[in-house]
Amino acid sequence: MSKEHVLEVVKNVIIEVLPDLDSNQIQIEKSLKELGANSIDRMEVVTMSMEELNMKIPLMSFAHASNIQGLVDVLIENYVTSVQS
Amino acid sequence: MLITNKVGITGMGIVSSIGNDIPSFSNSLKTGKSGIKKATILKEPKISVDLSARIEDFSFVDSIDYVQGISEDKYQHAKRLGRRAPFVIQTSIVSALEAWFNARLHYNKPLPERIGVIVAGQNSTQNYQYDLISKFMKNPEYLSPRYALEFLETNQVGVLSELFGIEGEGFVVGGASATGNVGVIKGYQLVKSGLVDVCLVVGVVADLSPMDIQGFINIGAMGGKKFIDQPERACRPFDKKHEGFIYGQASACVILESETSASKREVPFLAEIKGYSFNIDSNSSANPNINGEAKAMLSAMNQAKISSSDIDYINTHGSSSPLGDKTEVEAITKIFKKDIMNLRLNSTKGLTGHCLYSAGVVETIATVEQMRNGFLHPNKNLETPISNELQFCGGKYVDYQIDIALSNSFGFGGINTSIVLKKR
Repeated sequence: MSKEHVLEVVKNVIIEVLPDLDSNQIQIEKSLKELGANSIDRMEVVTMSMEELNMKIPLMSFAHASNIQGLVDVLIENYVTSVQS
Repeated sequence: MLITNKVGITGMGIVSSIGNDIPSFSNSLKTGKSGIKKATILKEPKISVDLSARIEDFSFVDSIDYVQGISEDKYQHAKRLGRRAPFVIQTSIVSALEAWFNARLHYNKPLPERIGVIVAGQNSTQNYQYDLISKFMKNPEYLSPRYALEFLETNQVGVLSELFGIEGEGFVVGGASATGNVGVIKGYQLVKSGLVDVCLVVGVVADLSPMDIQGFINIGAMGGKKFIDQPERACRPFDKKHEGFIYGQASACVILESETSASKREVPFLAEIKGYSFNIDSNSSANPNINGEAKAMLSAMNQAKISSSDIDYINTHGSSSPLGDKTEVEAITKIFKKDIMNLRLNSTKGLTGHCLYSAGVVETIATVEQMRNGFLHPNKNLETPISNELQFCGGKYVDYQIDIALSNSFGFGGINTSIVLKKR
């Protein structure tokens, strides 16, 4: 699974959760908090991204993701194991 | 606590099957428009009664666009809070916004801690949960984290208090089919006792799941069988062919306010609440009780310091249930005696269906609108009345001046309520 694909999925989810944003505001080095997401919005972005990618990993895995880049990295790292298990 | 201050209604808002704001709702009352139709969206499993008065083609964003006088700030805030919220919350936001602006609270608002909010609605997330179940059974991991907020009814308290900047008391009340009246009564008590100056009372949409509807069918409370192919004729309060209630949807909101606060803000009372009564029958079942209902109307009049000869009009509970209609007729006949000659009655449920939790608020609004505009709306489908003593409004609206009215709501579990409203 390509990084571009995962980023695209995450971006679309962010826009769904935060409809006031437009896609060019979503840059990979930004944190969700900077984009205006509260703690529940952030949890929702993670859950919905996993659903879109059809993967299930513990929410704790994202504890150290500090920006969108981090979130995308965790999703990619876990993609293979999650799909195999 | 010294009780001297009068309490009135300074704002109203509604989203219903017969109008998505007060002017269109009021016009539908006058023309006798029925919101009852055959359901167009069918869920699984199919259930035998599919007649209901639903809010159709509701778009949250279009509705808040439409609410007049909304400021850009409030508009964006409402949009953020409601855009992804469940249907029940969206409709509450819309009716509350209309009432808030109607009461001119957008530019002239008491201190946040002097405003309360009461959400009148129990089990308001049933259908929301029902829709999530099949997905949840397959993939519990994908349940939205927002669910933990949204399945709690108090979420509505949170959403509305954030939107309007409310910091007084805020809570949810339930009273089965009398829930709306219970909300109005609790709001009245808060304002009357001086705990708040303004109280927002929202009756929430009863968003029933197919399971809830089947439950009402199985307990024998729901009608709609005889007139399955003529939906508009199915809800027949006080008619010999009545056979049970027809389910309706509405979100309705009233702003209750002390006279001191309203006059300070130079906002008129649309009507005054003169008194109320709320009693229970010590009964866990669904059956109504003549004595409990009579007691509710009598003590509401006592509290308002008026007698039965002062009442011009009753907005009945009149749900089209054979036993419920008969019991209410007997209770009214028993206490009004000779004053029955001067009394007019109708049931709003013939037009709106039975809006369950919000019914009391819907009918308070219907009473105030008839009072202010000098008419009585038709008592839809009343062809052969079960009582010839009581003077129900017929199939057409009539011009009529209401000065003092009662609005009744009764609920499963022996809940009896009545409110006294006075014209302003």
